[in-house]
Amino acid sequence: MNQMTNVKADRLPPMLRVDNLTHRVRLETDTLTILQGVSLEINRGESVAIVGRSGSGKTTLLGLLAGLDTPSDGTVELDGAMISQLSEDERAKLRAHRVGFVFQSFQLLPALSALENVMLPLELAGSDAPEDRARELLERVGLGERLTHSPRQLSGGEQQRVAIARAFASDPAILFADEPTGNLDNRTGQSVSDLLMELNREQGTTLVMVTHDEYLAARCGRQFHIEAGVLTEPAAAEELTL
Amino acid sequence: MAAARKLMSVRRDWRERDVRVVLVALIIAVATVATIALFAAQLQRTLVSSASSFLAADRQLEAENGREIPPDWLTEAQSRGLETGRMVEFSTMVFGTGGFQLVSVKAVSDEYPLRGQIETQGAPDQPRDLVRSGPPPGEVWINPRLLRLLELDIGDSLEVGNRNLKVSSLLVREPDGGFRLSALAPRVMMHVDDVTSTGVIQEGSRVEYVYLFAGDDTVIEDYYQWLEPRLEPSHEWEGVRDGETFSRSLERAERFLLLGGSLAVLLAAVAVAVASRQYALAQRDTVALLKTLGVRSRGIGRLYLRRLVLWGVTGVVGGLLVALPLFWLLTRLLSEVLERPVEFHLAPQALVPALLTALVSLFAFAYPPIRRLRDVPAMRVLRSQPGEAGRGALADAAIAILAVFGLVWLYAGEISLVVSLLAGLALLLGALGLLGWLLVALLRKVRGGGNAWRLAFVGLYRHRRASLSQMAVFAMTLMLAATLVLVRTSLLNDWQAQLPENAPNHFLINIAPDAVDEVGAFWQERGQPLNQLYPMVRGRLTELNGEPVKEAVSKDERIGALNRELNLTWMSALPEDNEIVQGQWFRQGAVEGVSVEAELAERLGLALGDRLTFTIGSEKVTETVTSIRTVQWDSMKPNFYMAFPPDGGLTDMPATWITSFYLPSDEKTALNAFSRNFPTISVLEIDHIIDRIQQIVRQVTQAIEAILALILAAALVVMAAVVSATLHDRQREGALLRTLGGRQSLLVRSTMLEFALLGGFAGVLGVAAAEVAVWALQFRMFEGSFSWHWQVVLPVPLISGLVLALFGRWQLRPVLNVSPMLLLRRLE
Repeated sequence: MNQMTNVKADRLPPMLRVDNLTHRVRLETDTLTILQGVSLEINRGESVAIVGRSGSGKTTLLGLLAGLDTPSDGTVELDGAMISQLSEDERAKLRAHRVGFVFQSFQLLPALSALENVMLPLELAGSDAPEDRARELLERVGLGERLTHSPRQLSGGEQQRVAIARAFASDPAILFADEPTGNLDNRTGQSVSDLLMELNREQGTTLVMVTHDEYLAARCGRQFHIEAGVLTEPAAAEELTL
Repeated sequence: MAAARKLMSVRRDWRERDVRVVLVALIIAVATVATIALFAAQLQRTLVSSASSFLAADRQLEAENGREIPPDWLTEAQSRGLETGRMVEFSTMVFGTGGFQLVSVKAVSDEYPLRGQIETQGAPDQPRDLVRSGPPPGEVWINPRLLRLLELDIGDSLEVGNRNLKVSSLLVREPDGGFRLSALAPRVMMHVDDVTSTGVIQEGSRVEYVYLFAGDDTVIEDYYQWLEPRLEPSHEWEGVRDGETFSRSLERAERFLLLGGSLAVLLAAVAVAVASRQYALAQRDTVALLKTLGVRSRGIGRLYLRRLVLWGVTGVVGGLLVALPLFWLLTRLLSEVLERPVEFHLAPQALVPALLTALVSLFAFAYPPIRRLRDVPAMRVLRSQPGEAGRGALADAAIAILAVFGLVWLYAGEISLVVSLLAGLALLLGALGLLGWLLVALLRKVRGGGNAWRLAFVGLYRHRRASLSQMAVFAMTLMLAATLVLVRTSLLNDWQAQLPENAPNHFLINIAPDAVDEVGAFWQERGQPLNQLYPMVRGRLTELNGEPVKEAVSKDERIGALNRELNLTWMSALPEDNEIVQGQWFRQGAVEGVSVEAELAERLGLALGDRLTFTIGSEKVTETVTSIRTVQWDSMKPNFYMAFPPDGGLTDMPATWITSFYLPSDEKTALNAFSRNFPTISVLEIDHIIDRIQQIVRQVTQAIEAILALILAAALVVMAAVVSATLHDRQREGALLRTLGGRQSLLVRSTMLEFALLGGFAGVLGVAAAEVAVWALQFRMFEGSFSWHWQVVLPVPLISGLVLALFGRWQLRPVLNVSPMLLLRRLE
């Protein structure tokens, strides 16, 4: 499966192609530019980290890349689709089938059990046996015994594992992670990032991660730095990919 | 603690959604109860004063023995602050230019009428006037028919005994122009001071002295306590509530208002209970944090108690601020309906239920879940404990249900109401338990699928706890509203049936046996066919099983029927609206027996087989009671206490015939021709009485509609409050679903379907519970019969499904138009 994906990847267009992306937010008195002329290309199966300080615009970039919002200028091409030209429903369909998310604050629904949280994207995608797949994934992330527990009854690390299981549930082609260890202690953070990397490898998913954790960033194939809305790729990383 | 207290200020509270819901619910509760209580008190006053005008006073004392009452009875009443008035009623011959005529005279004092107005006319073709006092001494007002019968003109004089009195006006309608068969002749109204000088009243004349009383209800009651031991059997004390015709309508209206008020209490309680529970659940994190910071359980308890008191004050003040303008508006509406000004009367005691509601709502419904906040473990800051959320819900519900029924009982003072509602509620809770079990069992099987229906079912299952509790609240709200709608419908139908559009409004009395056919033909020609004709024989019930009746019946019982001549009749078929309750109706060809009206039979202690002796003229007739039947006294048809078989005891007695018929107001001129053709027959015009009753019914109907609208609005707000209690969670879920790839249209359809299913289920349950409650109510309170009400069984679930689907759609609104990323950040 992995091999096949890699072989195919050579012939297919890049997973993500961003051209001259600019995002501005209109405030009461003036306009704030959050992202300025961002361009990048990410290939299938790659893992990429976007590193930057708080307020540098990295989460906004992630949202734009994932099609959760539309940019002021520039284009985003995700898995061959120009998402800046898609309608909201078309973007939703793309997200349902090709995209997975992991958030800093987990974003689990408190009314649902761990199992139900993982089933959610499967139900939306119209999967036939959402419960079986969800159960399998939760077992894979080591929570096979906690299926019926609600998010409130789980530790932060456990909640993020549920979120990771949910992210992989619909077999996404690309996974966006927003500070996945940001709310966790070092050790838990490390085990969660281990899990994320492992699953990413197993599934052959493209991973785009936003983080300020240099150690986690170092585990990704490529790293970008973002500062005041401008994206740069450090030379060292460039040499590595060459 | 200062910082903690600051954390708990009302202003800060208001920024929290749950507190807003509690406060709004409380304000609605107080406002609804206060408005209804105020309006009910106002309506009561208006109704009583409107009905009092039927007596021209609040109470009448009639002396049928031809003697005036001792003067100190009146001075006693006056010294207690009551208004009094005097009337003398007698029949006499009067003479005019065109001849003479037997008339029924009513001589009134200056004070007459104490309640209501007299309708007069300057001349037959002039507009009618409403005046507040009778003719001055030296003048008479006469019935318009008399003008023609005696060929008189306004300004001519009428000879009454030794006096010539000037005809100064036409008497169209008197407020107490009651429905009495003894008022056979055309009316002449004069001043009571002129009576003696006419010389008409002699020793032994048949004359009735009537005294009028008006004033505060409690003063009148006190006065009656004083008066009662002094009354003789020939004295009759009459109040509005004793009059058969109106009492039932009034009583039912009163009960309906009480029911409406009680349901408002229930609705309010539901709203407060739901909101405060939501609030308490949301407060657990804060409490845990405060405990972590060192606040002890007792301190937590005090903080929240202080908060509750603040809410109570806010609720009461806010509620009254809403209630007062609303009440003012309703009062204006009432005066518009009545086409006369209604005095804006703020009954302070009507505010008591509102205050009580606020107090009980807070302490029985809001306090229990909030009190338990003391027990929230500090550990919660780090991790919530399993099972914590559901703890104590049952105990809360038990306290709440007990309190609400206590409140309804206190408020409506009607145990059967409490029992009926309890029965409906028990059914509702049982059904909900069953439904909850079914929901879990059936919906668990529905899995996956991107179609809106399946997602809606999955949604219901996923939120099963919230779904069930919301369903409970909606079902209860719908039950209360449906109960009220059903009771209102049956009440109005009953009234309508009682007085249909063409109810007979004229009686013909004193028809000689040989004139019966001619009279029938006269009205047939004019397109106004007569109803059934009944023979009428006047007689007194004198002996019971051979013993004089006044001895046989306990002396305390003052039974009007024994004090005057009764109208006896014979008939072959039982009238449609009569019903045999004991014995059997006369068989074909029966010649013996008498059928007695049920209430009189009960008061006299009559049983089947008792022998009754009647004195008719100089003859005596004795018959055995063969049946006891109920009579619809308010049917406006001839009704009789005693009925004989056609060839029975009355056959040889001198009888005249009586009938009733409907005459439209524009045909009334036909009465003049009739009176000329049949001068000996009396026409009793009761069209104005019927108009009045219909007016009262309209008035009460309007009030009922207004209160119903108020309660339905309250119900809608309760539903909105409950739905918005989960607003935050729903929106967050919507945002997440969109992030995970749910299309907008799918989200909208599945959410609307989920809410529609919720509303539909709640509607079915609510209607079923309402049917049970109505069945019990009909049975116990309104004496009606039960039948399924298809007019609500189908629409209520449909409408509630639709309304909730729209609520659901409304909730999604912010989720749909904003980028999911922004929404997730905002809702975090």
